Amino acid sequence: MPQYRVAVDTGGTFTDFVFLREDTGELSIAKRLSTPHDPSVAIMEGVDSLLATPEAEGVTYFCHGTTVGTNALLEEKGVRTGLLVSEGFRGIYEVMEQSRPHGPALFDLNYRKPALLAPQSRTGEVRERVDYRGSVLVPLDEEALRTTLRGLEGEDIESIAVCLLFSYLHPAHEQRVREIIAEELPGCVVSLSSDVLPQIREYARLSTTVINAYLQPILERYLGNLRTRLIDVGVTTAQAYVMQSNGGTATFDKAAQKAAATLLSGPAGGVTAGARLSRMCGVNNIITFDMGGTSCDVALIEGGAPRLTNGGLIAGRQVALPGLDIDTVSAGGGTLAGVDAQGVLKVGPDSAGSVPGPACYGRGGTRPTVTDANLVLGYLSARSRLGGSLALDTDAAARAVREHVADPLGMDVLDAAKGVVDIVNIQMEEAIKGISTMRGYDLRDFVLVGFGGAGPVHTAAMMEDLHMAGALIPAHPGVLSALGLMMADVQHDYVRSRLDALDELSGPDMLSIVDGLVAAARADLSEEGFADDAVEIDYTLDMRYRGQGYEVPVKVSRGALEQGDTATMRKAFDAEHLDRFGHAAPEESVEVVSYRVTGRGLVPEVKLLEHEPVGRPLAEAQVDTRPVRFGDSVVDTPIYARELLDVGVTFTGPAIVDQEDTTVVVLPGQPVEVDRWRNLRISPAPTSSESRSQEATR
Amino acid sequence: MNRPMKVAPVTFQVLRARLSGVVQEMQFSLFRTGFSTIIRESQDASCAFLDPTGRVVAQHVVLPLHIGAFPACTAAVLRDFGDDLCEGDAYLINHTYEGGSPHAPDFFVICPVFIDGELLGFAASMAHKGDIGGPVPGSCSASATEIYNEGLHMPAVRYQRDGETNRDIERIIAANSRTPEVVLGDTRGQLGSVRVGERRLQEIAEKHGLDELRNYFEDVLAVSEQRVRAALAEWPDMEVEAERFVDDDGIDLEHSFRLHVTVRKAGDRIEFDFTQSDDQTRGPANIRPPLLRAACAYVVISLLGPDTYVNSGLLDAMDITTRPGSVVDPHFPAAVNTYNPTVHAVVDAVFDAMSAIVPGRGRADGCASRSFVMSGGREPGTKKYVQYEIFGGGTGALKDRDGVSGSSVNHTNGKIAPVEIVESEYTARVKRLELIPDSGGAGRFRGGLGILREYEVVEPARFSLRSTRHKVAPLGVDGGHRGRIGRLTVNPGTPQERVLPSRYSDLPLKPGDTFRLETPGGGGYGNPLERDADAVVADVASGYVSEAAAREDYGVVVTRDAKGTVVLDRQATGKLRHERALDAPASDVGVPALAQEVIAE
Repeated sequence: MPQYRVAVDTGGTFTDFVFLREDTGELSIAKRLSTPHDPSVAIMEGVDSLLATPEAEGVTYFCHGTTVGTNALLEEKGVRTGLLVSEGFRGIYEVMEQSRPHGPALFDLNYRKPALLAPQSRTGEVRERVDYRGSVLVPLDEEALRTTLRGLEGEDIESIAVCLLFSYLHPAHEQRVREIIAEELPGCVVSLSSDVLPQIREYARLSTTVINAYLQPILERYLGNLRTRLIDVGVTTAQAYVMQSNGGTATFDKAAQKAAATLLSGPAGGVTAGARLSRMCGVNNIITFDMGGTSCDVALIEGGAPRLTNGGLIAGRQVALPGLDIDTVSAGGGTLAGVDAQGVLKVGPDSAGSVPGPACYGRGGTRPTVTDANLVLGYLSARSRLGGSLALDTDAAARAVREHVADPLGMDVLDAAKGVVDIVNIQMEEAIKGISTMRGYDLRDFVLVGFGGAGPVHTAAMMEDLHMAGALIPAHPGVLSALGLMMADVQHDYVRSRLDALDELSGPDMLSIVDGLVAAARADLSEEGFADDAVEIDYTLDMRYRGQGYEVPVKVSRGALEQGDTATMRKAFDAEHLDRFGHAAPEESVEVVSYRVTGRGLVPEVKLLEHEPVGRPLAEAQVDTRPVRFGDSVVDTPIYARELLDVGVTFTGPAIVDQEDTTVVVLPGQPVEVDRWRNLRISPAPTSSESRSQEATR
Repeated sequence: MNRPMKVAPVTFQVLRARLSGVVQEMQFSLFRTGFSTIIRESQDASCAFLDPTGRVVAQHVVLPLHIGAFPACTAAVLRDFGDDLCEGDAYLINHTYEGGSPHAPDFFVICPVFIDGELLGFAASMAHKGDIGGPVPGSCSASATEIYNEGLHMPAVRYQRDGETNRDIERIIAANSRTPEVVLGDTRGQLGSVRVGERRLQEIAEKHGLDELRNYFEDVLAVSEQRVRAALAEWPDMEVEAERFVDDDGIDLEHSFRLHVTVRKAGDRIEFDFTQSDDQTRGPANIRPPLLRAACAYVVISLLGPDTYVNSGLLDAMDITTRPGSVVDPHFPAAVNTYNPTVHAVVDAVFDAMSAIVPGRGRADGCASRSFVMSGGREPGTKKYVQYEIFGGGTGALKDRDGVSGSSVNHTNGKIAPVEIVESEYTARVKRLELIPDSGGAGRFRGGLGILREYEVVEPARFSLRSTRHKVAPLGVDGGHRGRIGRLTVNPGTPQERVLPSRYSDLPLKPGDTFRLETPGGGGYGNPLERDADAVVADVASGYVSEAAAREDYGVVVTRDAKGTVVLDRQATGKLRHERALDAPASDVGVPALAQEVIAE
């Protein structure tokens, strides 16, 4: 009897499911409306519906992308959190970085910092001090600490963050503080900065630790509850995972402990799927382009590996944990267009959201959105399902575009709609340039992978504008993020800072730090059920030229560490610096700031089914013809049903491919092929390739 | 009222997005290729496009003041080389009087962009340099009395012709800097960035044509100006005055000096008249009109909101009047290196005046900005270092919200250095980092709190301070109290205790010495007796306001419950507030901000 792997991605509107039948490799997908009050309700509906099918025997593997932590942070609905800091340093948290974000915030009279998740009234000071070498200057005053904790007793603190100076060098004080908290405030959950992120720079470490403390009980309760409900229906597999920001998964328990590492759980699935999928199909350099209703996420994957970052801001708060480098732009199907008092056409950043939504949804929206413009142009049909909503109202869309854009500007409705789409495309193209050309990558070497409900409508046009190598639309673009959950390995990141001159370090010095991290990685993965031979360990050093204010992570080999081969590390750093920043300084001295270890528990790879042609001619896939606006003219365009397109068929645009969860638009002249995995491979139109080669030779 | 656009509406937005993308790419390139931490950490560097007449048509806003300097420096290039500009040229200028560089460490690299032999405009970048000579490292001496004490000055010079660098210029720069490789590395990074801009602009011109781009430039400047004028037209006509004072100029420590503005708003025009500002200072506190213009633009953009296009068009909607020989229009060669205290005073004065014109948008004064430099390693066998830190403090309260604590304010935006980095890289030890209770001016809405940071010196070092608001407090609004002034105390609480003036150069410190920097809090807004009593209780619980100040300033009495939690004594508070209201009805309301009022005790 067949076993299934189940992946569930909770989104704002829909909860997406992908079921993989282990014996045949067949995929099926499902969508349920999300249940924000308790996301597990929608999840259980989907799981129940699978288990209700007679052939489903059981679930061997369960993976979940969740926004529970993210939403609790964005809505400031975490638990009552306290904070302990070194004596004299209660300003660290509130001062933050002191600076405001670049751009409009500098002109914003109303600028304010994000609210303190652990307010000053629930902040206590700990008499102790460690210096920059990790030596104790002032020993921990346990009695004073007990008094402080008793003073906090009335505050009903559920979770407490502890961040002492230089604890990444000397964690003993924080560890002892945890023991004393257990005695004085029993039941209070504790997050230590030396556990969460033993890394130099106190504000980033503190902020990450406070966020962890703030979310940990929430995530623990949610995942505990979900686990119970899964067991109730017979899903008892130990392989039950949650997606983390780093593109790897973790078991429910580990994920709850490191709640702050799940904040990008949602978008990480799409990027991971993009990376795996393209590697499987022999495309190694891609840009993932995930466009939904209010925003789009773009990420760069080079050589099959997504770019990583060592943290960033989430709702203005620093989270310094490793994650996939994903850039988000406020441009989606619901992005609003209009004309301002000076007669300037404006697209975004405001969005109609899901309520009232685009005018064509007929839910009370009257202002034109990108989706309305797409409908007016013929890119979407009134029957487009957009993930299950009702038929779209083309007249309402045209009326909105006419009243709010075309008439005020004295334009034709079609021209106005085309203008709206062109402008939103350019905004997204500039975001893609921001993560590629502006960082020294050449887009001619990259394929644009479009997914999400709105992505495939825009992908072909953007690929052409950006002079990219081509575009790829996966078989199930609407649930790609869920598919990615199934394809990820379990992954944990470990870091420890110690600042030294590189050339003064020996092999034993470096091993003394990384081996502690390796031991932690192996212990965690072993608890999660991975035998030693299913574990991979990677080593990274964060290095910089002396005096620089930031570090560059550089991968190093175990062998180089053992031999203390600093010369090779030095060369690798210079090369990485040159690559990233356009220059290197081989004469300057180099410092090691942090040591990183990544432990990966390898899960059996998902092999997507390769299909054979069934011999269905293209003509049988064509379900309709309709007029569609491309460039300056309206062209009668064939409409194909995605599920009827046979493997191996080729055609040339213009074309529209309709499928259950999205619509693919192909520009005139663009060749398309359906590959063995049922991906649509779209190539640039030949004339533009010529102009591209001219540009290349210029 | 609105001039018809020359380019189609869609094209307009397409070109706007493309050009802003290109300026951002230039900016990335500069951050990527520059070497110094000043460029990458303080990000004291900007990029822009200018039209053939030298007006900014696109800028990436990193620091708002640069919008004034780009046109002034480009004007110098046009004046000196206008009849001989060629494709492949690049120009370099850092001269405050020949061009409009805020001070000599700010280098501008400007490259004319040609399409088919016709000048389309300029790609330009500016970046602060770590050191370009002069008596002190960093080239910003607090005792400079003329620009000859402020490092190497270059008028507009041709840095490249046909893409070939004039090496003699680089050799002169190298010979004048304490850190020649870094300065040249950064300057070449700027060059690389303007060349990226040039190439991208040419690509856009190829697609859209020279005429369409030129028309776009005219349109975008016009739209920007029209937006300002449309907003101005809605505001009431009036003439308003305001003034602010700066502690001193660093040379004459006895006297504060005055920035005064008369704002005349009529129809869709606005004039900022600074003729009644004080005479130019002997010390390096002067600013030139390009910076003054940018300071006014900063305020106007803040009042208009985020839809404003930041380009020269908005400057066209404003008239600025100055008196030659004054602190905002000094005669050559008056010293200018420490311009920020003066610019903050201008910004605060202009905001004050504008608050009468734009109802509801008033704000109390904030902390301004300050920096110190500590250098060591002069003794044999010790590590050489220069420790440069930038500090904000409390921002002023608004009509409907408290000020922000421990923040940058106005046009400045430095990051605070992490304690763990400071101790690992330098020899000082940080003893405290706290917000200062009661430093935020009391009010219906409270000013933000200043920062206290205390250091212990571990090895011999030399210390310089460039600060402000150590004598002149940030003002409150509408009955709100002043924010607390800043202070720098050496060896506090010891017999050797000593308070430094706000500008000070080269104080020797020995191991064991401590110094404590306290930065100002923001001013309050509205009568503190009207502050929500529960908000005062929360402030006491958080340590932002002491129990004594709660009683004294706010008329709020707090007590503690059985668990030790701070709670409101409602009855005592009601009684006290009633008595206070009778004693001193809204004490400061309507009192103008005059000199004798602002000099703190």
